[in-house]
Amino acid sequence: MTSPARTSVVTAPVQTSETPVAGEEAAATDSGPVAITIDGLGKRYGTGPLVLEDINLSIEAGQFVCLLGASGCGKSTLLNIIAGLEKPTEGAVTVASGKAAVMFQDAALFPWLTAGRNVELALKLRGVPRKERRREALELLDLVNLADAAEKRPHELSGGMRQRVALARSLAQDRKVLLMDEPFAALDAITRDLLHEELERVWRQTGRTIVFVTHNVREAARLGQRILLMSSRPGRIVNEWTITDTGSRRIESPEVARLGDEITDQLRKEIRRNAA
Amino acid sequence: MPLESQTATARVHDPDHDELRRLEAGLDSLQAVPETARGAFRRTVDGVLPPILLLIALVAAWQIYIVIAKPRPDLIPGPFDVFGALASAWSSERLQLAVATSLERGGLGFLIAVAIGTPIGLLLAECRPVRRAVGPLLSGLQVLPSVAWVPAAIIWFGLTDATVYFVILMGAVPSIANGLVSGVDQIPPQLRRVGTVLGASRFEMATLVVLPAALPGYFSGLKQGWAFAWRSLMAAEIITTGGTIGFGLGTMLNQSRELADLAGVLATILVILFVGILVELVIFAPIERRLLRRRGLMAAGLR
Repeated sequence: MTSPARTSVVTAPVQTSETPVAGEEAAATDSGPVAITIDGLGKRYGTGPLVLEDINLSIEAGQFVCLLGASGCGKSTLLNIIAGLEKPTEGAVTVASGKAAVMFQDAALFPWLTAGRNVELALKLRGVPRKERRREALELLDLVNLADAAEKRPHELSGGMRQRVALARSLAQDRKVLLMDEPFAALDAITRDLLHEELERVWRQTGRTIVFVTHNVREAARLGQRILLMSSRPGRIVNEWTITDTGSRRIESPEVARLGDEITDQLRKEIRRNAA
Repeated sequence: MPLESQTATARVHDPDHDELRRLEAGLDSLQAVPETARGAFRRTVDGVLPPILLLIALVAAWQIYIVIAKPRPDLIPGPFDVFGALASAWSSERLQLAVATSLERGGLGFLIAVAIGTPIGLLLAECRPVRRAVGPLLSGLQVLPSVAWVPAAIIWFGLTDATVYFVILMGAVPSIANGLVSGVDQIPPQLRRVGTVLGASRFEMATLVVLPAALPGYFSGLKQGWAFAWRSLMAAEIITTGGTIGFGLGTMLNQSRELADLAGVLATILVILFVGILVELVIFAPIERRLLRRRGLMAAGLR
């Protein structure tokens, strides 16, 4: 592989009878400044093989980017580097707005705190004065439809509710960039479907830049405005799709299916390359 | 992004959003596990009744054996002899004095051990080089019976309370420190990562994430520390008598032995046992239950 082939597939805009206004607003923020710049990034652990090689990327502010790849392709490593949890071996990552908020596959709520207190802790670490924390935490929980669960402890919540509390906690950090590492991978299909809708709504409402790591092709096709496909060993970005779609689309819709098929073909080709 | 603008848009009535809200609320109520809490009375009855029944059965079996086998009362006294010895110790106020002295020493010694063991444990858990150096020594001290320190303590401190406290500390501090270390070790790494992502400083990480996360492990260390403190205290009291050392349960036990008063010896052993059980039931068990239940770490049957 010399240079990654980059094709741009533009799907037909879905006719959105639902929320045309919100869609146009989101489209307007697309042309904003760059939120994340990745320049010649490489990563290896110790003297091991290259995990990531020559990743160059620029993500616009307010964009919803899906990072797609097979297990072990280094997409989580890339996300951790953007988050500042790991150091790159070469190259540089710049997050224009400073640090980024991160959400993991495991909600990782603090089990000794109620849902509300978990969100409040994030506010406290952000430096929000004590008096305002309670109200802000409730507002954030309301944003993910969990205002009633503020007094519940994590073990009393279902997996989907925990992830929504985790989402509220990430939003509490009030950072322009939200990094998500397979946040819905451990959920059942019905819950995941609802959370897609929820996340999309929150994204449109808050205008965050989202980098969403997943190994689920349909999930990427359902959510992303821009989908980046990664190869494995070493991890590189080999293809990308841009979806000029203004509204929300359902995971069952033919557009998502068509795009999903196309991405799956590419993904399988990448995986087959590792067979030899 | 100011929050006010977010919520302002949230309040705009949007039928799709309402639909989503209802869907989510429905799914939430389907998936959430309802907490089936039992009443306090029921819980007390369930917890207290079985051990009391067992106690009655054991005493009855003991009495039946005495009646049937008729052993020599100076070798195997019956339950009535033992209760008699207990009653006479009570009426002469030796029992009250012994329990009060021992509990005071045990409690104070335990608190000092907590104050010493906790910082040691934190240092060990968070500082790798210190842990490599001190860890094996501390584990060794935990295995070493603290009674072994009694002769040395007597030589150093004479027959004073300092001897007793020294022995208690040598017994309890390693347990408490080790409990905290294993509590910290068992923190899921994800929680620390969340702390980092949320921007916690070193101090905030320690106080807001590490310490609360390590609490269950620390607490079981405290429990074990109390057990070691109580045992060490009894051993020290039995061996060291006289001097300025007051009259504790161990002293009472030793006195009864010298008088060949087996009923008195058994009565004192029972008192020591019951004080241990009582501290566990009244102090540790409720705190532990609350701690675990709040974190959802308790099996459904134990709620």
